[in-house]
Amino acid sequence: MESSESPIYQKAPKSLAGKIFDLLSGFGLATITLLLLGLLTWFATLEQIDNGLYPTLTKYFSWKSPFLLPEIHGKTVPLPLPGGYWVCAVLLVNLILGGVIRIRKGWKHAGNLISHFGIIFMLVGGGIAHHFSERGNMAVGQGDSSNAAEDYFEYVVEVSEVIGDKMGLIQVIRGNEIDDLKDAKSRVFRLPNMPFDLEITGYQENAVPVSANERAPDRQQFIADGYFLMEKPKLEKAEEAERFTAACYARIINRDGTKSAPFILAGASFHPFSYRLGDRVFTVDMRKRLWVMPFTLKLDKFTAAFHPGTPRPSKFVSEVTRSENGGDAKVTIQMNEPMRYEGLTFFQASYGPPGAGPGDKMYSVFEVVKNPADKWPEYSLWIVAFGMAVTFLIKLVSFLTAGSRKNRHV
Amino acid sequence: MNCRVACLLASALFFCSCEEKKEITVTETRAATTRDMAPKLFATSDERFRDAKPSPVIGDAPADWLALPPSQFRLLNYRFGESGMGEVWVSLAQGSVLDNVNRWLKQFGAAAVDSAALAKLPSVSLAGSNGFFVTAEGDYAGGMGAPAKPGFGLAGVVASVRGQILTVKMVGPRTEVLAAKPLLEAYVKSLRMAE
Repeated sequence: MESSESPIYQKAPKSLAGKIFDLLSGFGLATITLLLLGLLTWFATLEQIDNGLYPTLTKYFSWKSPFLLPEIHGKTVPLPLPGGYWVCAVLLVNLILGGVIRIRKGWKHAGNLISHFGIIFMLVGGGIAHHFSERGNMAVGQGDSSNAAEDYFEYVVEVSEVIGDKMGLIQVIRGNEIDDLKDAKSRVFRLPNMPFDLEITGYQENAVPVSANERAPDRQQFIADGYFLMEKPKLEKAEEAERFTAACYARIINRDGTKSAPFILAGASFHPFSYRLGDRVFTVDMRKRLWVMPFTLKLDKFTAAFHPGTPRPSKFVSEVTRSENGGDAKVTIQMNEPMRYEGLTFFQASYGPPGAGPGDKMYSVFEVVKNPADKWPEYSLWIVAFGMAVTFLIKLVSFLTAGSRKNRHV
Repeated sequence: MNCRVACLLASALFFCSCEEKKEITVTETRAATTRDMAPKLFATSDERFRDAKPSPVIGDAPADWLALPPSQFRLLNYRFGESGMGEVWVSLAQGSVLDNVNRWLKQFGAAAVDSAALAKLPSVSLAGSNGFFVTAEGDYAGGMGAPAKPGFGLAGVVASVRGQILTVKMVGPRTEVLAAKPLLEAYVKSLRMAE
């Protein structure tokens, strides 16, 4: 006689690592992260109306923002949310563990696997864009040419020899090499291509030179040639950081060890500091970093159209000529139709001068983006679409095959 | 034990790597761009930080006048007197000599003069031309919506120099202007056009 008791199948208790794996790879976590991303996107869309796109993106999706409180029409919503960057990071881990490692394998699940790879590819692309893309702008007047874009935020110090009336090779001291030189901190920058070195101190991220004859220094600031550096008031909105004008004090150190009198370098200056050594002339300047483009862009024609009776642009179009190695190419750049070339993307950003009338010389402003993962979202969408198509086809084939088998048994 | 040593070594390495750099060799370079054409060389601090143009007029200011940076309408700009409210400035103005004299008089609520009365004003040499010495006193309404300042004085010269109207204007508390008038006359004599 067989025993009526069925054998009891007991699962071995899971280790802590196993429990963590289950949690991180679970469908529940995926659902929560996707819901959070939906919420973050919704709040960010509402908030950017009042606070602007760039500061909102920074607040919601920067890696420096682990938590945030949304704001709608200036009022804080008492709902702490995790930062979008970190939600995406958790989703990435979840997809790798759950959607690739833990998922049931076999040809029937190949489509899902491909789709998951597509989403992972998109998330990784987002991370690369976040950490490695560069943004700047290029303003070109109608009929003028430009081969340089300007960074939005980074101030650099540039040293160059002037040959004839032109600049020679320019040595660039990057912003991250000087922005810690606050107060009395100083650093010597060796300039191998110049007959002198440069000492920099007293860096301020937002200051202007003020004449000591006009206003007495309020914090015993150092006065160089009748001017001292006065800190500008703090700005309320993060997007105004674009208007910061960095400044510092510097002096030349000649190869024989002698030093020049200290002088001011300021982003808010109109002309560079000049230095004569023998019959050679050099300039030292502080400015926003310029990127040299691999081509020259000439603005042939700029056209702006407005919604009737409003100053709101409905369309603005820049017709440009891109010149490189003696060859020219005609390109049209307009809203939602950027120019992509050699890893750079030129978006139609704005134009000027403000309130220009008929006959005024117009200029066009392009946002220039160098993003190594520029096309990754598109590729990932193709991968996801392919994966889903494979899944549907497999399901269809299974359904049809099962149906024909069933019919044979009837 | 080995683990602790490894941690200590790792910490030491970490902190060594955080040491502030006292010196950096600059390796980054870039070529000149369309944005780097013809820099203005040897600009003064006023030109570098205020985009001020060098004054077309130069003069020898008294030692106790405080030189101020020039502004859009003031080629040369000074303060004088104990109150700190006395001002002297040199400008190139629009209109005629008579227009400018009457504009100044109006600021003190004084009656306008005609050409005949203008010709009777004291004559003074200014940058190689003949100018007219103008004085007034009373409530000074300098314009731009500023409230009138009572007890003020004016001393100044208006001249037509090389087809332009050159003015030297001193405004301040009446007693300080009276006291500084000889200095102003000496300053006006010293003014000349820069070559």
